[in-house]
Amino acid sequence: MSEDLLLELRDLSVSIVGKKETLPIVKGIDLHIPRGSIVGLVGESGCGKSMTAKSINNILPPFARVTGGSIIWRTEASGEVDLALLKEKEMRKKCGTEIAMVFQEPMTSLNPLMQVGEQIKEVLTIHGVERDNKKAKDRVIEMLSKVGIAEPALRYNAWPHELSGGMRQRVMIAMAMICQPKLLIADEPTTALDVTIEAQILSLIKELCRNNSMSALVITHNMGVVSTLCDYVYVMYLGSVVESAPVKELFNNPCHPYTRGLLSSIPHVGDNPEFLHTIPGNVPDMKKHFKGCDFCLRCSDDIKQCFFEKPALTETGAGHFVRCHRSLGA
Amino acid sequence: MQTLISARNIKKSFRIGRKKRFLAVNDVSLDIFKGETLALVGESGSGKSTLAKLLMRLIKADEGSIAFEGQEIEELSEKEMLPFRREMQLVFQDPASSLDPRMNVRDIIAEPLETWKVYDSREKTDERIMELLDMVELKEDSLKRYPRQFSGGQRQRISIARAIAVNPKLLVCDESVSALDVCVQAQILNLLKKLKQEMDLTCLFISHDLSVVSFIADRVCVMKDGEICETAPGEKLFKSPEHEYTRYLLSSIPGQ
Ligand SMILES: Nc1ncnc2c1ncn2[C@@H]1O[C@H](COP(=O)(O)OP(=O)(O)O)[C@@H](O)[C@H]1O
Ligand SMILES: Nc1ncnc2c1ncn2[C@@H]1O[C@H](COP(=O)(O)OP(=O)(O)O)[C@@H](O)[C@H]1O
Ligand SMILES: [Mg+2]
Ligand SMILES: [Mg+2]
Repeated sequence: MSEDLLLELRDLSVSIVGKKETLPIVKGIDLHIPRGSIVGLVGESGCGKSMTAKSINNILPPFARVTGGSIIWRTEASGEVDLALLKEKEMRKKCGTEIAMVFQEPMTSLNPLMQVGEQIKEVLTIHGVERDNKKAKDRVIEMLSKVGIAEPALRYNAWPHELSGGMRQRVMIAMAMICQPKLLIADEPTTALDVTIEAQILSLIKELCRNNSMSALVITHNMGVVSTLCDYVYVMYLGSVVESAPVKELFNNPCHPYTRGLLSSIPHVGDNPEFLHTIPGNVPDMKKHFKGCDFCLRCSDDIKQCFFEKPALTETGAGHFVRCHRSLGA
Repeated sequence: MQTLISARNIKKSFRIGRKKRFLAVNDVSLDIFKGETLALVGESGSGKSTLAKLLMRLIKADEGSIAFEGQEIEELSEKEMLPFRREMQLVFQDPASSLDPRMNVRDIIAEPLETWKVYDSREKTDERIMELLDMVELKEDSLKRYPRQFSGGQRQRISIARAIAVNPKLLVCDESVSALDVCVQAQILNLLKKLKQEMDLTCLFISHDLSVVSFIADRVCVMKDGEICETAPGEKLFKSPEHEYTRYLLSSIPGQ
């Protein structure tokens, strides 16, 4: 079973390490990415999605650190390694071309002073994947065409500012894909885009995964994105996974009150409720430690136990995990 | 139905580069009826914000006419415009940049009341501020605090309180819930709907999110490239869209 997992986060913790105190922001999460599948990670902003993603390929900001658990990476080329134990340099050598990342705002990740084609080509040459200049350029042009950029040979010479938001995101995806990674981590890849462009980018990611036997971890706060793109989904709240399930199961049978609240607070074209469902209260401060369930103060379904004891993530159906005393029949 | 704002054949172009001009709003006519929430939807760059600014006369149209309660406002001087300014209030997308970080909540909400000299005493002004806090569901102890001490959703509540303080006839919300998380977004959308019912507000609601629009709007205008390509009651537009572009937009919503 575990050989089929490309990536396995085991009890992973990330904390902000200050002089006086350590503030946990990712609190022991388990997350599996099976080969060839697209896994979603959803939750409200601040719940720790990006930090989880950044810990995988070792690009956490200086103030944050992996403080526990392991990140097991399994490929034929590198065998089984714990990425959490690697230094940045080893990491780059080991899987610099095997894990690629796409961010929300392509403009900040592109060099404004370099033509986009050259930027993509640089990825190839830095990793020594293709040393021949002409061949490298051809590969870039082919990739640009694959991500749906018209007249790729011409666009090779375009500057980032000459491209629209959607085109820049395509360039970012081309750059991520050029070394044929095994895993694509996409952090809010379409949040800054218009809905029509979003639809195009999502089907592009899906198609690229299918045709290149690539896996993906897609981070988003948009449940619609999850339902079109993902096979399996993890719901995060305050640094923990509160529920995870195959996508259809999660939408048809959400069990955690937070997941249910999240799903029902989204307006949908076609149903016209008088008012939307809302989860009472706000996301609590990560700094305040609470010994009970993290969600219990906003929960309408809470029982006594919720105040005193953190529920464990428990399998309630095939591949369906829930962290809630109530749904465990307590 | 009474018309609050009526715009006819308005055009607006911007200079880009030395010689070229870009037509941001092209020959748009529209009516906003009293008491309704009219939504403008469209992709970024389609001209939604520009059209809203034209209707509020924050910028001047190149051509066309705009009437507010039957009175032409397009040609009015700044001074003549003043009484109309009070009647049209705006809530922006990003409350972080539209709220003065150095002012506390009391002063932020008091500002429009004092500018328009709505009350003759500080007591009455403060009474109104308390009432507004209650309407936007903020606690009393918010008064002495500063914008940075609030979450994004709470800041948007402050902006809304400020905008409705002087009982405007028109509230313009430009992507006012776009930056918020779904749970907070639902709270603010509910608040806007509640206020509309309580105050009989007319609202021009701008958004690129069709699902949000379907919840809040009575009528919807779909914009594309500076033009309105379809206007219809919300239910009709989402059930049986007529324009090809509207259908394209609807089919692009992920997960629908
Ligand atoms: N620049 C920062 N400085 C201090 N704390 C931060 C910073 N960025 C993130 N954090 C903390 O890390 C938590 C998780 O952040 P992040 O993973 O970016 O959330 P998400 O991607 O789910 O929106 C936040 O709640 C915040 O407390
Ligand atoms: N002050 C301005 N100068 C030049 N171009 C502008 C100006 N304001 C808006 N535009 C252009 O007009 C078009 C419509 O913009 P806007 O009304 O902001 O669209 P939306 O709100 O629908 O995203 C865009 O292409 C924008 O670049
Ligand atoms: Mg993030
Ligand atoms: Mg706009």
